[in-house]
Order: sequence, then C-alpha cells, then structure tokens
Amino acid sequence: MLRFIIRRLIITIPTILVVITITWGLIRLAPGNFYISEKAIPPAIEKNIREKYGLDKPWYEQYGHTIWNIVRHFDFGTSLKYEGQSVNSIIARSLPVSATIGILAYLLALIVGIVAGSIAALKPNSKRDYASMALAMLGISVPNFVLGPILILIFSLTLYWFPPSRWNGFPSRNVVLPVLTLSGLYMAYIARLTRAGMLEVLRSDYIRTARAKGLSETQVVIRHALRGGLMPVVSYTGPALAFLVTGTVVVERIFVLPGLGSYFIQASLNRDEPLILGIVAFVATTLLLMNLLVDIAYAYLDPRIRY
Amino acid sequence: MKACQRDLIRRIYLKELVAAVALASFVFGTISCRVTATTGDFYGSTVPPRHNILRYVNGDEPQSLDPPISTGQPEARIYMALYQGLIDYDPRTLQAIPALAERWDINNDSSEFVFHLRHNAVWSNRDPITAHDFVYSVRRGVSPALASQNAYLAFYINYAEAYNRKAVFAKDPKTNQFVLEKDLADSTTAGSAGTTSAISSEYESGVVGPESINGPDVKASRAPDTTFHQFMHSPPRLTLPGNEAARNALLTGNPKLQAALAGKEFVPVSGEDIGVEAIDDYTVRISLSQPAPYFLGLLGHQLFRLTPRKIVEKYGEQWTQPEHIVTCGPFKMKDWIPYSELVVERDPLYWDAANVHLDEIHFFVSQDNPTSLNLYKVGEADAVLNHAVPNAWLQVVRPKKDYMDGAEAAIAFININVTKPPMNDIRVRRAFNMAIDKINYAKSRLVTKPLSAFTPEGIFVGYPQPKGDPFDPEQARRLLGEAGFPVTQSADKTFQCKTFPVDAVEYMFNTNSSNRAMGEFMQAQWKQNLGITVPLRSLESKTFLVARNKLEYKGFSVGLWSADYMDPFTFLGLFSTAGGSNGSGWFDPKYVAMLNEANRTLDPQKRYELLAKAEKYLLDNQPMIPIETFAVNWLKKPYVKGMYPNAASLYPWKFVYIERDSSKWDYGVPSLSDK
Repeated sequence: MLRFIIRRLIITIPTILVVITITWGLIRLAPGNFYISEKAIPPAIEKNIREKYGLDKPWYEQYGHTIWNIVRHFDFGTSLKYEGQSVNSIIARSLPVSATIGILAYLLALIVGIVAGSIAALKPNSKRDYASMALAMLGISVPNFVLGPILILIFSLTLYWFPPSRWNGFPSRNVVLPVLTLSGLYMAYIARLTRAGMLEVLRSDYIRTARAKGLSETQVVIRHALRGGLMPVVSYTGPALAFLVTGTVVVERIFVLPGLGSYFIQASLNRDEPLILGIVAFVATTLLLMNLLVDIAYAYLDPRIRY
Repeated sequence: MKACQRDLIRRIYLKELVAAVALASFVFGTISCRVTATTGDFYGSTVPPRHNILRYVNGDEPQSLDPPISTGQPEARIYMALYQGLIDYDPRTLQAIPALAERWDINNDSSEFVFHLRHNAVWSNRDPITAHDFVYSVRRGVSPALASQNAYLAFYINYAEAYNRKAVFAKDPKTNQFVLEKDLADSTTAGSAGTTSAISSEYESGVVGPESINGPDVKASRAPDTTFHQFMHSPPRLTLPGNEAARNALLTGNPKLQAALAGKEFVPVSGEDIGVEAIDDYTVRISLSQPAPYFLGLLGHQLFRLTPRKIVEKYGEQWTQPEHIVTCGPFKMKDWIPYSELVVERDPLYWDAANVHLDEIHFFVSQDNPTSLNLYKVGEADAVLNHAVPNAWLQVVRPKKDYMDGAEAAIAFININVTKPPMNDIRVRRAFNMAIDKINYAKSRLVTKPLSAFTPEGIFVGYPQPKGDPFDPEQARRLLGEAGFPVTQSADKTFQCKTFPVDAVEYMFNTNSSNRAMGEFMQAQWKQNLGITVPLRSLESKTFLVARNKLEYKGFSVGLWSADYMDPFTFLGLFSTAGGSNGSGWFDPKYVAMLNEANRTLDPQKRYELLAKAEKYLLDNQPMIPIETFAVNWLKKPYVKGMYPNAASLYPWKFVYIERDSSKWDYGVPSLSDK
C-alpha cells in the first residue's frame, strides 16, 4: 500500500510538468497578448513592454526560465495583469474562498444526495422514489447559471433573506446561495449514483446473507448495503471535490466571489501567462491527489481491492 | 424481459420528467408573478446607508493601484479618489478645475504651460507635495523602464517620445554641441529630391525628433527664464534610434546623415531632458513640442497624477500594497480585498478635506451586469458603473427616475481594410456606408444615437461637426455600379450584385452578443440594399485585436473609440497615425497636415472649424463607417448627489455626498449644465 502511494506521488511530478508545458505551448499559440487592447499602442511602447517582461528573448530561454523558477523555487512569477501581485499569493488568498464554498457544497450534496438516493433505492418505483428522482432530474438538467439567478430572484430580490452576491467571509449569510447553487448538480448526481449503487448491492448475495442472519433492516442498510452501494459515489468524489475546491467559474462570477475560478477565467482572457500556469498546475495537482485519495478509500471500503 | 425492463425505465423517466417540469413551471411561475409586481419610481430600495459611505459597483478587478500603469475605467475612477493631478475634472462638464495647481498660465500658442501649486497640499504620510513630485511622476510615467501603456499621452511634451523609445542625441565630443534637426534639414534641402523624401518618411515613422516650436511670435509665459527653459526653446536636437542596429540601418543609404554624424558621440535622451521643469518648489513648467490646446484637459488623466517618489523607490513594484501605499488624493486606502472590494476613506490631511463629504467609498468588483444590478436593487450598492444596464432590462429600468441617461464621448464604427480590393475603391466604401440605415439601427439598440461623422454627436460644444453621407440605398447602388459592380433588381424586387467578389470581404467582430447583433444588422442591410451577403466572422477578443491591428482581415471589422480628453482631436487623431496603424491601413499626409494646421491655430473657434474641415476630408475618404454615438446608461440612488452622468463616466469623488432629506433628492437625470 505504502509503495503504491509513493509510486503514485512520484509519477505526479512529471505529469504536472507535462501539463505545464502543454499549457505554456497553448498560451503561446493563442493569438494576442496581455497588453493588447482596443486602443492600439505605439510600437515604441510595445517594445518597452516586451523588454520589461522578457518577451524579447528567444522562446526556449523564456520557457527554461519559467520552468526553472517553478522547479527550483516553486515560484510561478508575478501576474502580468495584476502588477506586483505574485501568482503564489493570488492562489493562496483565493483558494480558501473557493475551498470553503466547494467543501460546504459537497458536504451538503453528500448528505442530501445519499439520503435521497437511499430512500429511493429502498422502495423502487414508489412515490417517494419518483419524487426524489424527479428532484434529481431537475438538479441535473438545470445548469448552475440558471439555478443561481433563480435562487437570487427568490431568496434575495423578493424575500430579502440573503444578499444577492459578494463575499463576506465565513460564516456569513453570503455563503448560503452560492453553496446551494453549487451543490444542486452534485446533490442530484450523488442521489442517482447512490440509488443505482444501492439497488445493485441490495440484490447481491451478501445482503441476502445478512438478512438471513436476522439482522435488522437498519443494520443491513447502514452497515452492509451502504458500504458497497457508495462505491460509485466515492469514485465520483475525487474529481468532483477537486473541481469544487479549485473554483467553479460560473458560480464565482454570478456571486462575485474572490475565488480561484474568477481568476482562472480572467487570466485566460487576459493572456496572463504566469497566473494561468500557476492555476493550471494547482488544479492538476489537486486532481491527481484527489484521485489518489479515492484509490486509497477504495481499498478501505472494498475488501476485494488490494494494491 | 429486456424489452419489458426498458419499457419500465422509460415509464419511470417519463414520470420523473413530468414531475420535474411541473416543479420547474411552478417555480418560474411564482417568480414571474413577483417580477411583474415590482413597480415604483425607483429601481429597488431607496433607503440611504446609515453612514456617509458610498458603495459603488466599479466593474472589473483593478489591474494596479499605480496610476500610470492601468488604462481601464475602473482603475481611473479609483485613481481619482486616491491621487490628484495638477488639475481635476469638473464633475459635470469635465473641463479642467484647479486641484494641486491653484492657477495656471498658458502661452499664446498653447505650447507652454506654467502651473502654480498650492502650498498646503501633503501626501498621506504628511510629506509636503512639491513641484518636484510632479516632475518625478511625469518622468517616471514616460520612462521606458515603467513601460506604461498610457505613455503616448505625454508624447506632446518636448522629447518625451524620444525618451520613451530610448532614443539618443548626437553630440560633438570636442565642442559639446548637439546635432540639431535643422542642421540636417539644411543639408537635405541642398541635397537631392531622393534624400528629402527619405527624411520626410523618417519623420512620419517617428524617427526624427519633435517639431520646432520656437516661432518668432511665441511669447514666453510669465515665469522666470532658466537654462532648462532656454534648452526647451533652442532649436530641437536631432534624435536617433538608441539601438545600434536600427541606427546603422538608418545611416546606410543616407550619406548626408552619415556625414552629419561622423565623429559624434551618442548621448541617451534621459528623463531630465523632457519638457517638465520645477522652476521652484511650487511652480511647474511644461514645454510641449507642438501646440496642443487640449493638453490642459489631459493633465487630469492618471498618467499625470502624482506618485510618491520615496515610497516607489523604496518598495519598487510592491509600493501599492496596502501596507506601503502613500497617496495624495481626497481619499486614502483603507482596505483591499482583491476581487471583492477596495475601501478608501477620507484623508483628513487632504488640502480640501473640509469639502470632502463622504467618509468612505467602497469600490465593488463585479464583472456581471445582472449581478451589479441585483446588488443595486436590494440596496447593497448605491450606484453602478456605466453600461451596467443590459439591453434586455432597459424596458423595466429606463422609465425609473434613478436611470442615468446622457451623451457619451464614445463611438462605434466599422473599420474598412483599404489595402485590399475591392475596398481600396472609395466608391465601394461609400456605397457600403450609404446602404446602412443607421437611424433604424440606433432604434434597435435603444440607447445609442445614429452617427454620420467620426466625432461623437452632442459632446463638443461649438464644434461645427460635418455630416457624412446619409442613408441612400439608391445612390449606394449607383456608386457600386460606377465601380464596376452593377446591382440588378429581379422580378421579386430583391437586389443582386452578381459581379461583386463576396469572398473578398467579411465582417469581423469580437465575440459578444451586442457585436453579433450589430454584425447581423449590417449583413441584413447590405443584403437588402445592395444584394451582397457579407460573411460574418466572429473571433475571441484578443485574437480579434491582433487580426485587426495587423490588417489580417478583408473588408470590415468592428471598432470602438472613447475619448482620452474632451476635444475632437482625441477622435480625429486616430487616423493620423503613421503607416495607418489604426485598423484600416488608411494614411494620408494631407489629412495629417490639415490636423496640424488646426492645432497650430490659436483662436479656438477657428481651430474647431479647421478640425471640422479635416473631419470632412476623412469622411469623404471613408476608411471607416461611423455607426453610433454611445449613451451612458447606469443607475444611482436618488440620495446620491454630486454625481453626474457626464460624457466620460469619471466622477471627482469629493463632490459626491449622501442626501438624507428626500425633498432634495434627484428625481430624474441631474442637469449637466452649471447652475
């Protein structure tokens, strides 16, 4: 097990470097640059800017410089757009915002999703099965850029319960609507996954054995069925959590949250190379680590899996 | 069995779907009832904030708090709170009003400005603000090391452009005499015609230094003469590229220049050479390389707002961080949560602090218009930035008494790539212009006004704006026919132009919904009136700018322009750039000469007339199709006073206050004319 973890961690490093290199190449291939704007600037000024940021040097030198700073000093440099702000500091201050919203949303999604999914699975084709799956269907088919404004319209603009947007730290009333918006899709997805997983497990032999032993239904469901039935949810958790924690562009934009997602989209539009590289590297690392955690969790939950 | 199961699944899904749809329609139904029920004089809540605080939705995250760096409007508004320049803008008319400078003298051809600074102005760290601070700030703003994108605004200042492009003077090491422009001019007039044209083309590309200003009739302004002043008024020195390779390239094939420079040494143009001078601690003199009557109005721009030398030199790029920053405006930094809000508070040390009404301003970041309006509606914001009202909301928001409407010094137009046929034919360009019904287009856009000239309509008082060609499809078809592309009418009354090379034109725009709507409108007009279907090409914003600047398009591309200062020249100058680097490839020395003549004219009204003549010439050549003058559209609560829908959406914050007496509120758009 330990060897497996170490091996996976070692593979992570070259993977990240490949991701950075590809991203770097893609940015360079994209037309435009960080300083071009509607008002054209004289060539002399353009030259000064290129010299200031080292863009006048050959591409391999620029690439080498970037990679060396990342590998050697773990330094992604300074944002080209936000003058004087280091990429590391931008990530460090925007991550907590994204992570707070993301983790809260996922916890909510897990609780509601698993409960709803289990209820549905225990009595398939019943009224409550239809009711909970109808809600899940709605959750999956309503995108968050629709759900967000609807929630704002109801709870903010008409009922005045929660502020319509902006970050105000945690805990505060500002957190409620973005978390609800963000969790909608995941809630629905988890509910469906749980239902499907549970339906399969409840028909399996070891559940029949458990029932035959005379265990109570609660014990059968919670101790035996849920453990196997949640396997699909666990494998979904890794990537889902990685994406939730590293920022969700749409929700952060609708609610003006100073999270990673806001920076990511803006950095790409601004061609802010150091910031793009930094965020991509961070998201990639998180994703890889989350997948590793999922694999470890698998081994724990399913006795048949050994590494 | 399998089929039965599938059938079952389908039935389950159907039931879920029906339930989901029912639920959704219930939710939407409730919402739409609530929305239509919102009525009243104002859009949303009108409860003033408890404290003297203005919460303003400012748009994008500010790029930097270093004034010369950023070019955007959100930053400009923040700079107006934190920093001051020699002058500030009048909140209504945007004309220059005293700020750091109490008063000023301008010489009689507007090429030299003397400013008398107030003695009681201090930085937020109590250091006095002196003339030297201004001189430092301008030198820094123009310096090649800072690489400010705004630097071009200072290029009117003597030698500023040469300093910014790292040019050099040529000096005789023995006599310490500099090579002057006129030395070379003499040699060229004596030389062959070939040399003359080489020199003039160099001048156009900005290689040779500034134009001479020391005409015999220039009366120096009332300030003591200094050595530096004499230098400014001595014949202009020759400037050459600082880069050796570029300089040598210029020398080869120019024997006269070679001879003039033989044995000379090259001295870099430095910050000390540019035409800003501190005559004493409280007097500043600015010498321009050309008459520029509009220059005074430019001095309110962020490039000319003051930066604290000691702090900048101590902390470098980090000086704007909240723990280091020192400012000089009516407000100082209190708190900065990036991508969320910037809070400034009144600076008690500001020279006019007694007349600053607000205790704090909260600049909110929001990149999403509906989000901004939501904040405004629930009363979490007191005013929103210009253009925050989406078109789809206008029907609801526009009739409200807190909707701000007014002319804006910004235009939309269509660039024409004049370097490629068939668009190199003026008749074709005019035909495409005359085939667009701009009045109807402006109606469809709801807030904008149709534009037939290149300067915005209704902004420059007393400017005799010329008229471009009107909407006249018949004349347009005739012109196309003259150019060799006859338009025929078929039995079903539609027009065709079979000979027109449709694959040689396109309509290029950067992707957003309003640009697409504009493109589709133009496409339909040309199809309907000329029988030509111009294909649309949509590009991501930065990709689009590269393609347009490099003229990598055929036919048409969208253009926007907003005023840097309140003078028609900020628009007309766009087409005077060397080599046609304006997105159309059009360049005409005659047009440049007409503009220069106008700017040398002392009488303002005469100057306007000459500018209008130049504009007419531009319109006759049609390197672009003017489309519309924008209008400001934003909201402010009725209790926010002293904030006006001016043409540039810049608000000198010290005049803004919260009015608690509802009888004194603004019911409607406040007047822009002085009381």
